[in-house]
Amino acid sequence: MVPTKKNHFIIIDDSKLDCFIAEKIIKNTGKCESVTAFQDARNALEFIKTHHADEHVPTIILVDIQMPLMTGFEFVEEFEKLPMTITCNYTLYVISSSINDNDLNKVHNYASVKQFLNKPLNSNNLAILLQ
Amino acid sequence: MTSKDKIKILYIDDEQNNLNGFKATFRFDYTIFIASDTKQAYDYLKAHPDISVILCDQRMPDVTGAQFFEEMREQFPEPVRMLITGYADIESVIDAVNKGHIFRYIKKPWTDTDIRSAIEEGNKFYLTNSLLASKNQELQAAYDELGKFAYSVTHDLRGPLLSVIGALDLAKTMDSIDELREIFGMMDDAVKKLDEFIKNTHEYYNLKRGRMVFEDIDFNTIVSDTSAMFRIAGRMDNVNFTSKVHQTGPFMSDAITIKIVLNNLLSNAFKFQRRAAPDKFVDVNVEANNDRAVIVVRDNGIGIHESHINNIFGMFYRATSEQPGSGFGLYNVKDGINRLGGTIEVTSVLNEGTTFKVTLPGRANGTN
Repeated sequence: MVPTKKNHFIIIDDSKLDCFIAEKIIKNTGKCESVTAFQDARNALEFIKTHHADEHVPTIILVDIQMPLMTGFEFVEEFEKLPMTITCNYTLYVISSSINDNDLNKVHNYASVKQFLNKPLNSNNLAILLQ
Repeated sequence: MTSKDKIKILYIDDEQNNLNGFKATFRFDYTIFIASDTKQAYDYLKAHPDISVILCDQRMPDVTGAQFFEEMREQFPEPVRMLITGYADIESVIDAVNKGHIFRYIKKPWTDTDIRSAIEEGNKFYLTNSLLASKNQELQAAYDELGKFAYSVTHDLRGPLLSVIGALDLAKTMDSIDELREIFGMMDDAVKKLDEFIKNTHEYYNLKRGRMVFEDIDFNTIVSDTSAMFRIAGRMDNVNFTSKVHQTGPFMSDAITIKIVLNNLLSNAFKFQRRAAPDKFVDVNVEANNDRAVIVVRDNGIGIHESHINNIFGMFYRATSEQPGSGFGLYNVKDGINRLGGTIEVTSVLNEGTTFKVTLPGRANGTN
C-alpha cells in the first residue's frame, strides 16, 4: 500500500472569516486531504476524542489563542491530557494576531505545540509547515 | 460641625485625671476616646478605624508610649502618632522620632494651644495620606484596566484587520465572482466588527472620564431615537419590535449614559436571536416617575447559559462564538448604571430568551 502524502487539517478559530481564509489557502496548496473548521474549540476537542484519525499522515491542527468559551491555551491543555494513542496522530500549531510577549512565551511552555504562527495565514507561512 | 465630621482622637494615659482633664477640655472640638491602658486603646482602634490622631503618654507602667507606637503601627499604620512626655525622657523620644514611630512630641506640661495646633497639623497629615492612599488605589484600578485593554487591543483591533489583509490576499487569487462576493461579505463583517469595537471604546471613555449632566429625561424620545437607529440599519428585519413608555413625571438623569445602556441592551437583543425562530421579538418597557425609572428589555433569542450569566458584565467577556462581539458592551452598561446609582438584573433561559431589568434612581430636582 502506498501511503498518501496529503495531510488532514483542523482549523480552530472563532472568526468565521479566518476559518474561511485558512480553508481556502490550505485547499489551494493541493497538499491537503481534508479541512475541518471549528469556531468553538470545545467542538474540536470532542471531534478529536471521537474521530478516528489517519495514522499514516499527521493531521495538522491550527488553533487561535483568543476565543470565547474555550481559549486556544485551554484547548492545548485539554489536548495534552488525551491519551498518546490519539495525540500522536496530530501536529499542533498556534496561530494568532497576538503580539503580546506573555502569549508568545506561553506557547513555548506547551510541549505539544510545534510552532507559533502569525496571522494572517498565507501561502508562505503555510509552506513552512508543510515542508 | 456634626460629630461625624469631627476629628477623632484617641488619648492613652495611665493617669485617669489626665484623661478626664483632656476630654473635658477638647470634647466640644473633637470626638475623644480615652484609654487608661494599651489593651483598651487597641479596642478603640479596632472599633473606630477612622481615628486620625493618637496621643500617648510616654511613661506608663507596662509599656512606654514609644514602644506602644512601634507595636501598634504594624496593625494600624494610618493614624498620626504623638507622644506626650517630660524632659527626662528626651533620649527615648529622639529614638522614637528617628525610627519614624511618631509624628510629633508634645512637652509636658502641655497647653491647650499646643495640643490644638498639634492635632490640626496631624489631622492634615492624616488626610493627605488617606487621600494619597485612595488615589493610589484608583490609579492601580485604572492601571489594571489599561493592561486588560492593551491586551485586548491586539486581538480586537488587530484581529479583524489581519483577517481583512488575509482575505484581500486570497481575493487576488480568485476568479469566480460568486467566491469574491462571499469573501467581500465576510470582509464587510470584519470591518464592521472593528468599527463596533472602536465605538464601544469611545463609549467606555465617555462613561469613565465624562462628566454626567443631569437633565430632564424624556423616555419616549430616547426609546424612539434609539430604536430608529436599529430600524435604519435593517436590524429589525424579521423581528417584531414593540415598545411602551409610561412616564408619569419629570425624571432627572444623565441622557448619554441612559442612551448607551439602552443602545447596548437593544443591540444584544437584536443580535442574539435564534436564526430559525419564526416569531422573533424584542420588547422595551419603561416605567418612570419622579423617583425612579425601570427599563425592561426582553427578547426570545438564544438566551444565556447559567454558567455564563455571572460573567456577562465582565470586561471582554464573550459567551458565544456564534456572533461577533467586542466583549465591551455589557461592561459599559454595568459601568454606566453603577455611575447613576442604579442596578441591573438579568434572567435568561437557554433557547427561550433573555430579560434585562434596569432600575435607575431619579436625581431629585435642584441637587444638580
